[in-house]
Amino acid sequence: MYGWIWRHLPGNAWVKALISLALVLLVVYVLFQYVFPWAEPLLPFNDVTVDNQ
Amino acid sequence: MRVVVRTVSELCITVGTLIVLFVVYVLFWTGVRADGAMDHQIDVLQDQWAERPARPAASAGASASPAAPAPYAAGKPFAIMYIPRLGFTWNKPVLENTEVSTLKKGLGHYADTARLGQEGNFAVAGHRRTYGDPFVNFPKLRPGDAVVLTDGTTWFTYRIDKGPYKTVPTDIEVIDPVPRKSGYTREGRYLTLTTCDPEWGHSHRLIVWAHLDSTQPVEAGKPAALRR
Repeated sequence: MYGWIWRHLPGNAWVKALISLALVLLVVYVLFQYVFPWAEPLLPFNDVTVDNQ
Repeated sequence: MRVVVRTVSELCITVGTLIVLFVVYVLFWTGVRADGAMDHQIDVLQDQWAERPARPAASAGASASPAAPAPYAAGKPFAIMYIPRLGFTWNKPVLENTEVSTLKKGLGHYADTARLGQEGNFAVAGHRRTYGDPFVNFPKLRPGDAVVLTDGTTWFTYRIDKGPYKTVPTDIEVIDPVPRKSGYTREGRYLTLTTCDPEWGHSHRLIVWAHLDSTQPVEAGKPAALRR
């Protein structure tokens, strides 16, 4: 999987490393901004009221 | 065969990394975001209050029974809560309603309960853990502790009478105007705080009840409970 991505990135090793880093940061950003805020309310930490069940 | 093993191990590493990132998000990042959001809500309130000087004096002079104040706007802050027992610098905005998005920005006032300082039960919910951990030290509350709120014109000092009381999530009578099990027997100006128990779970709720002890206009300065 990661080997496949690495082989398909353009440029030499340094360029590939830079693009990889950018991709990783992008993934982390999307996770923190969109995916985790969606998933977090499914966990019990939000149940602090007595009338929601 | 080698490709399969490699792919499976890469997937495992990916899932592991995801889990670690999610834990970081829940434990750390929600707190960072919530602290910012709560500070922002308090700033919004203080800006609002700065813009309306002398209005209570004008309405008090207008008639003996002033018109009912505007209802709290859903999801908007209307008061700041101080609980000296939870820390001298502990102060949180109180927002209207108890939706998930509201509780990310501060404490939530149960929309169908009494208004601040009025006859009935002013009930407020807050996170025990995550989103800034506002009520993390909730079990340290004891009878006699002060819960001080201000709506910009008046300081309301409530005194805790009972709690922390552990109950189940369906026990909605704890936020009744005269809460069951609270020991109160007649109508009054009460305050109820609710949060989850155990700390990271959702099987139970912790409750404290308080009664309105005193009020004073903001011009008179901070109430005694907040002075050091």
